[in-house]
Amino acid sequence: MKFWIVRLLSVFGAILGCVGIQAVANTQNDYTQRLIILAGLYVTLAVSLNLINGITGQFSIGHAAFYQVGAYLSGFLSVRFFQSAHLPPLVWLVAMVLAGAAAAAVAGFVVGLPSLRLRGDYLAIVTLGFGEIIRIQVQNTPALGGSYGLNVEPKIQSVAFVWLLAILCIAVCRNLLKTAHGLPFLAVREDEVASSAMGVNVTRIKVSAFILGSAFAGGAGALLASYEGFITPATFAMDVSFIILTMVVLGGTGSITGSVISAMFLSYLPEYLRGLKASTGGPLTLSGGTVIGWMIAVVFAVAAIRWVYSDGAKSKAQRLGWLVGALISGVVVQAIVGWGLNHIGKLQDAKVEVGQLRMVIFAMTLIVLMLLRPQGVFAHHEFSWHWVAKLLKKKKGATA
Amino acid sequence: MSILELKATTIKFGGLVAVNEVSFELNKGDLFGLIGPNGAGKTTCFNIITGVYKPTSGEILFNGNSITGTPSNKIAKLGICRTFQNIRLFKALSVLENVVVGGFLRHHTGLFSALAYLPPSIHETEHLRNEAMELLKVVNLDQVAHVRSAELSYGMQRRLEIARAMATRPELLLLDEPAAGMNPLEKDELLKMVKKIRDEHGMTVLLIEHDMRFVMTLCERIVVLDHGEEIAQGPPSAIRNDPKVIAAYLGEAV
Repeated sequence: MKFWIVRLLSVFGAILGCVGIQAVANTQNDYTQRLIILAGLYVTLAVSLNLINGITGQFSIGHAAFYQVGAYLSGFLSVRFFQSAHLPPLVWLVAMVLAGAAAAAVAGFVVGLPSLRLRGDYLAIVTLGFGEIIRIQVQNTPALGGSYGLNVEPKIQSVAFVWLLAILCIAVCRNLLKTAHGLPFLAVREDEVASSAMGVNVTRIKVSAFILGSAFAGGAGALLASYEGFITPATFAMDVSFIILTMVVLGGTGSITGSVISAMFLSYLPEYLRGLKASTGGPLTLSGGTVIGWMIAVVFAVAAIRWVYSDGAKSKAQRLGWLVGALISGVVVQAIVGWGLNHIGKLQDAKVEVGQLRMVIFAMTLIVLMLLRPQGVFAHHEFSWHWVAKLLKKKKGATA
Repeated sequence: MSILELKATTIKFGGLVAVNEVSFELNKGDLFGLIGPNGAGKTTCFNIITGVYKPTSGEILFNGNSITGTPSNKIAKLGICRTFQNIRLFKALSVLENVVVGGFLRHHTGLFSALAYLPPSIHETEHLRNEAMELLKVVNLDQVAHVRSAELSYGMQRRLEIARAMATRPELLLLDEPAAGMNPLEKDELLKMVKKIRDEHGMTVLLIEHDMRFVMTLCERIVVLDHGEEIAQGPPSAIRNDPKVIAAYLGEAV
């Protein structure tokens, strides 16, 4: 009884939360609304890729393809059948999400099959190839708008449904890991031969992971299509797959919490950088020398931090001292190198907008992360109330 | 009644004959040893029995039914489970979770029930975890149940592999060098443990081992392989004095 009450309350809470997000979004301008929607879609994409990549250990880098399959199928159906279906828009939206998810699940099943024979890099190549095949096929299909893109009618914009799908995706992955059913997925990641010897049907596990993960991506695609009202093959280019993969790796492969947080962070970061303004009011620009100076400074700081942590003998205070020293000297190095390059090398006139540097900053963030914390920010940890309680207790104990 | 029977089993890898016409028979409740010098084909035999390799010719019967060419996971479900010579634990999982994976083949609830977190799968999870905990007590690892399995000592990892295999509730348990890397004290404990597994849990045990004292004290019957060929079979006392076995291990008498 208590179980069902808790269950009902949490479902209710999730819906209420989504309605709340919708309410907040409604007060914002179109641009902010778009950010909120994209964050929700990327959370769904990252968490679903994490199921394939992080939890089951199948290195897939074609996730945008499933996203695209869902988007195009729902877009196509909307254009053809919405008028004659006579359904309320939100019901139609749910139907489209289900249709997109089903289509992507079928695609996931097809891609899952070679994963039975391939591992690691080889599987990555197959998934990458699959992603490109889908994209180029769509580009050359006039019925789907070809490279001009597809106008999706009607445009149904619902922040609540985007976040509902994200929460559903998180809940499904979390439930899987909470029950014994999640263990064979992890076991397949750890050791296929041993899992198989323990009676785990490796084939079935891998294919299930692909079907589940791609179904959620397809659902997200359907929501994107109905939100944007216009989709082109370029929306699902290879770099989208890589950004999703980056989110999973940055958060910590296998950690749902990590995927959620890094998906939100990485979908917001480029927009934040684009929005930076100089004191004159135009977009913030940096001179070439300063950019190179910063890159060298980051390398310097990373090396210093690695060196500080390589020796276990140092005391905490000493470490802190070294770290502060490393940061200060990083800034100093940046200032000197930047000044030098700007004045000696005449890089001062080579102005770069910060917004255009976002890919450089992405790459730097990843390099720094791989050097300092290769297991990702959250590693294999998950958020839990138990963990929060423990943290609070610790704080209390420290202050008392 | 014979539980496992190998009939003239042969496997060739290209030109190399790894196992050549090996035949032996295990009875229910046996403590059976499989020995031989390095490269004799002992582990290959295990791989054939558990379905990792399909034999080139010959037949394997389990409880009278042919299991030749059956995939690994089905063989585990039929009731044969093994440990590995080069330990193959699920390193990122906890000790308890490793054992739960072993017990998972007896699950009844569907994947959907787990994804929706419905009571049947919650209860089943609870049940499997309790069962796993009981098994950890048998191999004396219950104190470290929530430690990551990669952090265990070598001897503990070997015991965990045995517990994980036992969790599938096999009729026939295959142990691949269970005592390798253990100190004499740990070996004595393992000796008692394997005896207990046979006597109290009613499993038939087939084991590969290099430590002769260990095999001779534990096993009731032994098969000796050399260069993929079966050179002797019988009780320990006969094996110990068999001139062919002595020659295989020590070289020909001059």
